[in-house]
Amino acid sequence: MTDEAELKLKVQDLLDNAINPAVAGHGGYIELIDVKDTTVYIRMSGGCQGCGAADVTLKAGIERMIFEEVPEVTEVLDTTDHAAGSNPYYAPSKG
Amino acid sequence: MLRLLLVIPTTTYRTEDFVAAAAKLDVEMVVASERAHVLQAERPDRLLALDFADPGAAARAAAEFARRHPVDAVVAVDDRSAVIGAAVAGALGLRTSPVVAVAATRNKHRMREAFARAGVRSPAFTLLTRADDPDAWAERVPYPCVLKPTVLSGSRGVIRADDRAGFVEAFRRIAGILRAPDVAELGEGTEQILVEEFVPGPEVALEGLLVAGELHVLALFDKPDPLDGPFFEETIYVTPSRLAGAVQADIAAEARWAARALGLTEGPVHAELRINERGPWVVELAARTIGGLCSRTLRFGTGITLEELVLRHALGIELASLEREPRPAGVMMLPIPRRGVLRAVRGRAEALAVPGIEEITITAHLGQELVPLPEGGRYLGFAFARGDTPAAVEAALREAHRRLAFDVAPVEGAGRPGGVPAAQACG
Repeated sequence: MTDEAELKLKVQDLLDNAINPAVAGHGGYIELIDVKDTTVYIRMSGGCQGCGAADVTLKAGIERMIFEEVPEVTEVLDTTDHAAGSNPYYAPSKG
Repeated sequence: MLRLLLVIPTTTYRTEDFVAAAAKLDVEMVVASERAHVLQAERPDRLLALDFADPGAAARAAAEFARRHPVDAVVAVDDRSAVIGAAVAGALGLRTSPVVAVAATRNKHRMREAFARAGVRSPAFTLLTRADDPDAWAERVPYPCVLKPTVLSGSRGVIRADDRAGFVEAFRRIAGILRAPDVAELGEGTEQILVEEFVPGPEVALEGLLVAGELHVLALFDKPDPLDGPFFEETIYVTPSRLAGAVQADIAAEARWAARALGLTEGPVHAELRINERGPWVVELAARTIGGLCSRTLRFGTGITLEELVLRHALGIELASLEREPRPAGVMMLPIPRRGVLRAVRGRAEALAVPGIEEITITAHLGQELVPLPEGGRYLGFAFARGDTPAAVEAALREAHRRLAFDVAPVEGAGRPGGVPAAQACG
């Protein structure tokens, strides 16, 4: 098995068993798109797509969990078209 | 590695730019919000929930968190989080303005009182409550006047009245906004309606950073569209200002005086002032950065963002330069054409093709109900431009807006808006 394939399995396992069960609480879902070298590409959908807290979910949650559980990963990139999100869990408002 | 606590409401527009700035600075980011994040149980060292309605309780909870997971700076990203951020930073002995000063910026009546005590040029005012009789007060107030809630932002609930009938209608309309569930949950101040004299004249916005009590002006924006009411929807901001240097100096001086009057000492300041023959009048001063996505017009020194500047100051990292990039820049907060459901946005490619236009960001999602001011609490989107002159920037923004079209369908069963269907909108 290649290194990338092994990383994919580890990240997918983390998504399936820790991250997605949690974000499902807000109708969200995190999809593993690809692993290239040590960079992980993900896509957010459902309540996460376009959500006002999506960047927090990514940077303070998903990214940290992946880095901790799969330390070979050096970068997590979000490929989501957040502008196309039609049902964000938190819609931004003036503050 | 430095650890930064960002206080971020779940529904703010400011998340992306502050999170990006933290990532660029390579600091460990902790996020506090008013609701528990879905991944909080998995990342209890990075995510926490604080009671935004109780700054004292939030400060105690954050102090307990910081004993286990120390932080080096606390930064609130907007109006809703400003008081909590100050309370938490104060409790941890970190760089902040006093919480009482920040709290005064969150209530327009307390702000007006502080300005009046200090002699800051600002409108005369009277504080009413929803329980007052508008018909009786309509006989006593001067005209034209402006009625506004004391605790909302973004021109929400701000209405000009030119006569007694207009006053009564505006009063009742604001009372309806204050009864909306998302406003009522803000608690203190949501029964108040401030009545101010209308100050004629063009309006500007000043962006500044307080460092050890000294206000550094980062940018001054002209607002070329007149804001004369009856509602006060903001559209175009362009910097640098085209006002004469002496006028700009007077504006900066009045803003400094206003910040001092409130007792603010550290962190970002966003002030709005009106200019007429008597000088600059301070309409508002907030202990935060400019709202929405508007900060994307600003770059400093070698290209750092406003958010990075604010984080650097809070973390004690050297501020290389507070000089704005000299190229004129501007933003247009795209006006909501009418109440209804957003079905489609057309003309985006044509708008992006306008010379000088750098970005068009539609923040409303398809299917979202658009609610215009004074009830509405959300933006439709933003257009950004840079150009050789402020006039060229303004022209580019107007042309881009002309090329955009929004398909807005009627809301089924909708009558005249008496509240705000956008359940999470708040000041």
